[in-house]
Amino acid sequence: MDAAEEHLLAETLRKTMTAASGQALDAALTDLGWAELLVEQPDIAVPLTFRLLGETGAHAPLLNDVLLQAADRPVGGTLPLPFTGGAWIVWERDDAAVGTALDAELPLRSVPIGASVPLAAGRVALGWWLLGTGRAMLTLARQHAVDRVQFGRPLASFQAVRHRLAETLVALDGAEATLVAATDELGALLAKAAAGKAALTAARHCQQVLGGIGFTAEHDLHRHVRRAMVLDGLLGSARELTREAGALLRAGGSAPRLVHL
Amino acid sequence: MKVASAPGYMNVADFRSGLRVWLDEHDLSSGPDHSLDAQVAQLARVRRALFDADWMRYGWPAEVRGLGGPAVLRAVLGEEVATRELAEPGIYSMIEVLAPTMISYAPPALAAEMVPRLLSGREQWCQGFSEPGSGSDLASLTTRAVPRGDHWEISGQKVWTSLAQFAARCVLLTRTAPGHNGITAFFVDMDTPGITVRPLRTMHGVDEFAEVFFDDVMVPADRMLGRPGDGWRLAMDLLPHERSTCFWHRIAHLYTRLDRLLAETSVPDDAELGAAYLALHTVRCRSHATQRRLAAGERLGAETSVDKVLLATAEQQLFETVRDLLPGVLELTDTPWRSEYLYAKAATIYGGTAEIQRNIIARRLLDLGRE
Repeated sequence: MDAAEEHLLAETLRKTMTAASGQALDAALTDLGWAELLVEQPDIAVPLTFRLLGETGAHAPLLNDVLLQAADRPVGGTLPLPFTGGAWIVWERDDAAVGTALDAELPLRSVPIGASVPLAAGRVALGWWLLGTGRAMLTLARQHAVDRVQFGRPLASFQAVRHRLAETLVALDGAEATLVAATDELGALLAKAAAGKAALTAARHCQQVLGGIGFTAEHDLHRHVRRAMVLDGLLGSARELTREAGALLRAGGSAPRLVHL
Repeated sequence: MKVASAPGYMNVADFRSGLRVWLDEHDLSSGPDHSLDAQVAQLARVRRALFDADWMRYGWPAEVRGLGGPAVLRAVLGEEVATRELAEPGIYSMIEVLAPTMISYAPPALAAEMVPRLLSGREQWCQGFSEPGSGSDLASLTTRAVPRGDHWEISGQKVWTSLAQFAARCVLLTRTAPGHNGITAFFVDMDTPGITVRPLRTMHGVDEFAEVFFDDVMVPADRMLGRPGDGWRLAMDLLPHERSTCFWHRIAHLYTRLDRLLAETSVPDDAELGAAYLALHTVRCRSHATQRRLAAGERLGAETSVDKVLLATAEQQLFETVRDLLPGVLELTDTPWRSEYLYAKAATIYGGTAEIQRNIIARRLLDLGRE
């Protein structure tokens, strides 16, 4: 796939995700050939699709497919997924389970226990999703800072506001670098931790910059805040994964250098 | 053992493996003396050995006695030097800003004569940029240069000039006219009459930098770097080198410190260890991407402020973790950790403060308009 084809694919996906979400989006993506793309070109399919889910605020049960594909099982079904705190959930493919999670749009159903899943592939996918949702929050907060006038000046002219948004970009760009570099188990673990942390950082700073409006249901921010929290909890939260990385370091006695020139 | 020259090591993997074999066979380890004098002497010894064995010549152009090949080979060399702790990475990395500046701006004959002296460790140089009234606000510098026939007369004061007391030469920024376009650079011999160097004691106990006073110092006109008014552009052109190769060296050094902490700590705080590692891994991934962009011929700019903030943050977080996981050690014992911990406090100050970096990110990357 060349750059022009990838751009075209991105535009098609973005349009599809803007028009539909949940079960309907799952069906639309199936029609577009999501399963074939995932099987044939996962390196393109996963970053692009999951980042766009984040950026558009749409959702679809595609994480199941990524894990099934990594486990050499047929895509299109579901499997129990580990959640932070030792919990397990199933991300349903229909919208019947909607409404119980913190992010009420997601069809998540708690289950007692599940079998081990191929974590690395799922963590990278969730990382791109978290990054996309973080970028969406930054876009919302940036626009508000530019548009909103207080004390006779745009919010964007206040250094305290500018520095919060700058810190958000730093966290997101750093996380993106870890996602691009994630080629093994530890790299995927670290990338998911970095992306989760960046999305939560984005949520904190962007909500503060948005002020009162960012706390209301009429503004889109809260949907991204909830989404980031739930996605962070899936397949290991930033906090759990960071602790796990520390334990690996102590057991191994040195800090692995994962990327090389 | 001499390394084979042309076509030479154009490939990173071959260069690295050849270098490692050579370093295993040639012990360049530093001695027990950690004083600054000893560090500077060690740096000269390491550069000299690496230059004489050709390793220091790869990634530099033939005009300055380099052997060519991609600049990334210099990052690989610096990483090996930092990982083996052969030289302190901060002073080692000064070649990465000084040599490219000379190659780009000095008259070719001057660069050809001088740069090999720096690369080969026969001389140390310094960079006279900051002033008491111009730190991160470099454009406000006031050290004056006035034309006097075939010379320029320079008067003013520089500060925080690293290794000035050891330096044979200085890449100096002066004011020749108002504004950004009124900054002009010179390559000044430090033994010119009228130059006084006064080392500064720092918080971490090392006289690494100095105040440098210029009292009617006469510098030949052919020592100008570029043309009158090119100084600001020269300073900005340093960025790709300062924020890519130098950073890669520093990150390699910080990994050695995390390894050392793992060997020494008995506090099983996995959350804090993991967070320090995650921050280091993040900046290493980012720096890796920046290196690749540079290698692909892209021009680096404001986005390297992200690298700078990530590095400073990771460095300070790592040394706070050192303090937390070696409780009492750096407060009560005579340990190298103390000086390193204190030096990390400067990571958000030198090279443009963290606040300046965030201002650049806000203005240039987020397009937030003016303050």
